[in-house]
Amino acid sequence: MNPMGQKRYRKRICFPRLSIYLILLLFFFLCFSPAYAAVTGDPDQGKSTVSDAQKVEKPADETGGAAVTAKEKPSDEYGDVTAETATSGEGPVTAKEKPSDEYGDVTAETATSGEGPSIADPIEPWNRAMYHFNDKFYFWLLKPVAQGYKYVIPEEIRGMFSSFYENIKMPIRFVNNLLQGKLAYAGIELVRFMMNSTAGVLGFYDFAKAVEIPGHDADFGQTLGKYGVGFGFYIVWPILGPSSPRDSVGWAADCMLKPTNYVSSEWISPEGVGLYAHEKVNYYSFHIGDYETLKGAAIDPYIAMRDAYIQYRKKLIEQ
Amino acid sequence: MKKWVASATLLIFLMLPFLAFAGVPLDTVKTNVNSVLDVMRDPKLKGEAGKKVKEQRIVVAAEKLFDFVELSKKTLGLNWNKLIPEQRKEFVELYKTILKDAYVDKITAYTNEQVNFTKEVPISENMVEVQSSVVTKTAETPIFYRVIKKDSDWKVFDVVIEGVSLISNYRTQFREILGNNPPEKLLETLRNKVGKK
Repeated sequence: MNPMGQKRYRKRICFPRLSIYLILLLFFFLCFSPAYAAVTGDPDQGKSTVSDAQKVEKPADETGGAAVTAKEKPSDEYGDVTAETATSGEGPVTAKEKPSDEYGDVTAETATSGEGPSIADPIEPWNRAMYHFNDKFYFWLLKPVAQGYKYVIPEEIRGMFSSFYENIKMPIRFVNNLLQGKLAYAGIELVRFMMNSTAGVLGFYDFAKAVEIPGHDADFGQTLGKYGVGFGFYIVWPILGPSSPRDSVGWAADCMLKPTNYVSSEWISPEGVGLYAHEKVNYYSFHIGDYETLKGAAIDPYIAMRDAYIQYRKKLIEQ
Repeated sequence: MKKWVASATLLIFLMLPFLAFAGVPLDTVKTNVNSVLDVMRDPKLKGEAGKKVKEQRIVVAAEKLFDFVELSKKTLGLNWNKLIPEQRKEFVELYKTILKDAYVDKITAYTNEQVNFTKEVPISENMVEVQSSVVTKTAETPIFYRVIKKDSDWKVFDVVIEGVSLISNYRTQFREILGNNPPEKLLETLRNKVGKK
């Protein structure tokens, strides 16, 4: 063993890195605390009683008798929503609808459909401050840099870089697919990595995709979710963005499986940060405008982002 | 032989309702989405003058694709009942404008991408999820349209992109406002949002 190798090993378990993991681990345990359990249900949802349902019934009856087409009764179209329609958008619908009477009766059981995912936000002031920081970071630094980069580097080259960064993250996908019991997916990831690293010239070309072998993404936050660990609560990290204690632990664990983190012996090195920054800029060069759309469409961008994050993560775990 | 014919006939009859059902919602959404895309891709509609015509045509096509009243109802949930009929009408119009302003530009960006309609999954008796994906060079984005049967037509009431439901997302935001404010406050917020554009 050469002295260099020894030095690397010793420095890799340096104290700052350990303490970061310890802090994240602390957050992780907070996930289980009942105080931070995700808030579910809207107070309004509970109120949908039978009396509500009967109130709904009336306007439909008044207009329903006339022999007119649906378009000619605007008062009916804008009539009270039935509890059935009210809850049907909130996740999987279990109740059966009555197609014959659109605005008619609602039974108590139909009003109790599931609610969409929600998350506790006990540190909202911090989160909102970080959201604004990230917003400025994007508009003042990341976006101009990504735009300049996009202007200078041809799309083909940028595509090669994103293939490269994806390929090199194979250990994350391989290990997590294994941990999730998806042996076939783990195998496919291994095959993809071997194909892309050879025929795909060190991963710069996604050869496996060209021969129709799609990859299967997996991360440790998702693995923990599949094991039954909840979100905990909502955290917005500076630069890294929306997360939760569970997904932060997941992110830290995945980082240890990321080969680009081992380019230097230091935890934070110019090489490591540079590679990370390039990966992000390269990524955002394909996604300029996405955040703007989300922000532009939102009434409260902070809430919109939080909701999109938990819906997205929840979907990944349910898959 | 007789047995074979009998079972084959039975199988065909069993499959009939399935065959009759499959395809209608998907085809409706596909046709309407494609008509939006056709407007976007129309080479004759270029420049500033073309942009106005384009926008008008997209609004017409979107009107055919979506049921904005249903979409609004499902977004507000039981809060919808707190609004008086005039407020409901205004809410639907404002909501529609916000969605249009936000997504028309985004649709333009998708013009050169490939849109595949893959399958439809029944949600309930009169609701179906039509699944599609937009394929770009670096990624494939799943876009699911949730449709409801209105009279004999299938209308979209929710769009789910990468697992994120549009109406769920807005519901969370509207609820935040309606939690401690009267419905008028929500309308005022929406009016301001539309006015800024």
